[in-house]
Amino acid sequence: MTMDRRSFVLLSLCASAQRLLGQEQGIATRDIAAQPKPAPSGRPFYAHFTDVAKEAGLHAPIIYGGIESKKYIMEANGCGCAFIDYDNDGWMDIFLLSGTRLEGDPPEATNRLYKNNRDGTFTDVTEKAGLKAVGWANGVCVGDYNNDGFDDIFCTYFGQNRLYRNNGNGTFTDVTREAGLWESGPARWGAGCAFVDYNRDGHLDLFVSNYIRFSFEHAPVPGEKSTCNFKGVPVNCGPRGLPTGRHSLYRNNGDGTFTDVTKQAGIDLATESYGMTVVAADFDEDGWPDIFVACDSTPSLLFMNNHDGTFREEGVTRGVALSEDGMEQAGMGVGIGDYHLDGHLDLFKTHFVSDTAGFYRNDGKGNFDEVSRAAKIGVETRFTSWGAGIFDLDNDGYPDVLFVTGSVYPEVEKKLPQYPYRTPRVLFRNLGNGTFEELESQGGDGITAAHSSRGCAFGDFDNDGDMDVLIVNMNEPPSLLRNDLKVSQNWLKIKLEGVKSNRSAIGARVLAHYGNKVQAQALVSQSSYYSCNDPRLHFGLGASTEATLDIYWPNGLHERYQEISANQLVTIREGAGLVPNRGWKR
Amino acid sequence: MKGNSFLGRICLVILVLSLQGRMFGQTSNERLQSITAALRGRDFQQALQSLQSALQESPNNPQLWMLQGLAYSGTGDSKSALASYKHALRISPDYLPALEGAAQLQYEAGSADAIPLLEHVLKLRPDETTSHAMLAVLAAKKGDCAMAVQHFSVIGSMLDSQPDALQGYGICLLKLEQTEEAIQVFGRLMTMQPNEPRFRQGLAAVQLAAGKPQDALTTLQPLLDSSPNVSTMRLAAAIYEANKDTPNAVKILRDAIVKDPRQTALYVDFAEIAMDHQSFQTGVEMINSGLELQPAEAQLYLARGVLYVQLADYEKAQADFDKAEQLDPKQGMSAAAQGMLAEEQNQNNPERALATVRAKLAKQSEDAFLWYLQAAIISQKSPEPGSPEFAQGLDSAKRAVTLQPSLTVAHNVLAKYYLDSGQNAPAAKECRLVLQQDPSDQGALYHLVIALRKMGTTAEIPDLLKRLAKARQDAAKVEGERNRYKLIVAPAGSSE
Repeated sequence: MTMDRRSFVLLSLCASAQRLLGQEQGIATRDIAAQPKPAPSGRPFYAHFTDVAKEAGLHAPIIYGGIESKKYIMEANGCGCAFIDYDNDGWMDIFLLSGTRLEGDPPEATNRLYKNNRDGTFTDVTEKAGLKAVGWANGVCVGDYNNDGFDDIFCTYFGQNRLYRNNGNGTFTDVTREAGLWESGPARWGAGCAFVDYNRDGHLDLFVSNYIRFSFEHAPVPGEKSTCNFKGVPVNCGPRGLPTGRHSLYRNNGDGTFTDVTKQAGIDLATESYGMTVVAADFDEDGWPDIFVACDSTPSLLFMNNHDGTFREEGVTRGVALSEDGMEQAGMGVGIGDYHLDGHLDLFKTHFVSDTAGFYRNDGKGNFDEVSRAAKIGVETRFTSWGAGIFDLDNDGYPDVLFVTGSVYPEVEKKLPQYPYRTPRVLFRNLGNGTFEELESQGGDGITAAHSSRGCAFGDFDNDGDMDVLIVNMNEPPSLLRNDLKVSQNWLKIKLEGVKSNRSAIGARVLAHYGNKVQAQALVSQSSYYSCNDPRLHFGLGASTEATLDIYWPNGLHERYQEISANQLVTIREGAGLVPNRGWKR
Repeated sequence: MKGNSFLGRICLVILVLSLQGRMFGQTSNERLQSITAALRGRDFQQALQSLQSALQESPNNPQLWMLQGLAYSGTGDSKSALASYKHALRISPDYLPALEGAAQLQYEAGSADAIPLLEHVLKLRPDETTSHAMLAVLAAKKGDCAMAVQHFSVIGSMLDSQPDALQGYGICLLKLEQTEEAIQVFGRLMTMQPNEPRFRQGLAAVQLAAGKPQDALTTLQPLLDSSPNVSTMRLAAAIYEANKDTPNAVKILRDAIVKDPRQTALYVDFAEIAMDHQSFQTGVEMINSGLELQPAEAQLYLARGVLYVQLADYEKAQADFDKAEQLDPKQGMSAAAQGMLAEEQNQNNPERALATVRAKLAKQSEDAFLWYLQAAIISQKSPEPGSPEFAQGLDSAKRAVTLQPSLTVAHNVLAKYYLDSGQNAPAAKECRLVLQQDPSDQGALYHLVIALRKMGTTAEIPDLLKRLAKARQDAAKVEGERNRYKLIVAPAGSSE
């Protein structure tokens, strides 16, 4: 019996499923077995999510490509959303991106800004704010790029990305061209984006990931190539088989304009990646922001800051680029937080169906160990997963994980009912011992409801001291999951205002010490999937009634605030200490 | 090496003895001469009788023990011969003729014990080409191609008289991705024996493996033009397939099957192509026709079982694997396939998969792949390092690589166990063992990068990253070439 003969059988059995279901379709998946679910802990979970979008007035559907089928990948990936306090009234408003349709723009197809009425409802102020825009929008990041005290919006598109300057009077102006961000060449597919002050000059620079180089003229159609089928069903093609995108870094000149520094910063060296969500934070705790890019079907990227205006890409070496067995995964969304309460920023990355999400534990030096299985996240492989967050949803002091899901192939479920287009949200409760427990109905109807979701943003829209979730659903109205805690525990919210640092304090890292725990959080302008969370950092404190804060400001200043009482929002101005909150009501 | 004939070896040893004279001193020249004369005359019984009395007189004379080893070798009693050589070496550890004799015996027995003896010889005589050649062959057999190539490369023209060793050299070069050198070696073989079809086939096969299917076709063409035999047709099918010419690959395989419908390997090759083109049912039907002629052929049941797995027809797959095991209980593959099937069927129930694998292991405790499977299934459960379950998984992986050092998947899973338990140096070692056999194994490259980073040994990492990137690109390219054709049922003799 020769090894060749044997290897035929064994390799067939080992690898065929991967080859057939993963490699030979357009998107990387490992087709791995889910971990067995441990016995339920039996512990109560006090967070309970209800979708209140309808009551809140979020009626308009988010248009994105075909409903019954999708000819191109352009229609499939969807878009993000943001919690933004655009009018500085202390209440989170909502910004939702939108796509369009191949056959023409339906009237509902536009990005939308909803003003928070402070009573659980919202008013669509899109037109009034000057934000009506139609196109294939993808990502959003929010930050005060001109340091005028009002958060601005940057949106990525297939086509022309757009920078909207907040005029401070409830309106925005599209300043893309005058800011030097206009692309004159062929249409690019802007995907993730992040405001990041990479050179610590106090002005927010801008990183934009690009997904693929795409043109409707040359794109293959379902079934045309081997990368255009899912388990034998013809589906939209890619990203495999399509040329990779090129990522860009723009330096803020401090005068309202940007300069493309992609090449001189070394970003252009990363050429073989389908870039998606971007998260910029100081992963190695050297005081300088690094940039993580989740990549679809190619190794994810981790650009480490060299402190001299350049970056070096070290994703593979630092353990966040590939699966634990060295394979590519379909990196879509990214959660950032400190699940293990060791004071370091961990990463959570969502992937395609038949793969686990990736959970990466940071050693504080920017080196990561994949702990997906050790943390028992590997019990869930059923869904294609997108927006994600690491947040303490029940305020017990331990950050939980929530991500949203949905297939990219609406046509498949007719032939293969086991692969539905609409799938539920996934909630993992942190058990406090380094492991998580998946909860379904315990999380409420908002968790079990099935949608084809994409981006989601975490924030406290009703200012009641817990984290709610805004979710983009494809060709449906969004979901707004209101968190109603059945038992209240302690919490603390922190709003940061930069002075020497950028005004939004994006890039700040905060350590909260409570009980015997320490938890790190970072203020970022994008995470989840192409989305932007509530900029007020939220710490559940469990039984602790106070917390001590270490604040590492983007420009290097370290401040400590002792024994801050729980159950309040505190606004901290860089170098000035606690200042009065703006508009906060409870 | 076989070229070092036994008679020649006797003459050589006797010559050395005559030069050594009375080096060991206790035995009379006359007695020594009578022993050597008996050996030269191949009268081994006479030699042994003389040696018996000589050894009674001089029991500490290594020469005599060595000659006794030679005499026993002549009678075919390798066990006594080896004991005699070892006795000589206990008296005089650096006694070269005894070292060489013992090494020769161990080498012929395929024992790894030959290696330290040969290394000892080379310590005494660094340029001794036969020992280099033997070490090279042993290393190649062990899968240590880096070591094999190191020894092969110093042998020089002596290899020209050893076509099998030369072929081993070429295969090792190929495994180390030194493809141009490998092609040169096989070209040398073909030049040496131009009328030997197997060397032409060998060169074509190497060119194919080196990613030069067009060159391979050119090399093989003379054989294809003159009524090719079935093995040439098999190789041609593989070359056509690599040249993206699936219709010709299928056609020549079908022709080969018509020519020799009882050759099982042809049906299996067809099944492989069917697998690659996701034409599982067509593969099943071809295997069915093979089984009509050979209903007791275990390999065909195995191949069909694999195809049934692809069709998710697990019951039929199980029945085929059972049948294969029943037909050929010694082949060992059915158990492994059944273990894999258990894993596939019980993805969410690793305990059940483990139970199946353990049941198989109870019957076939020397099956490396089953041990690997047990290690892999336990690993998927992510046991805590230090827990009994982790220890069992680790031990299973170790057992697998001990039983079959060339089983790269087992080395990979062992590396993962080591990494998970913070044993970075052993993890790196396992990765390197994988990479010796398959320099582009992505899992091993990645784990090696991680292990080296954790060890703080970073100098090698940039090169490994480049290799990993290339391995990914190559794999993507290969996958891109798949699925160009779908095989459909067609009348015998036609393709597509």
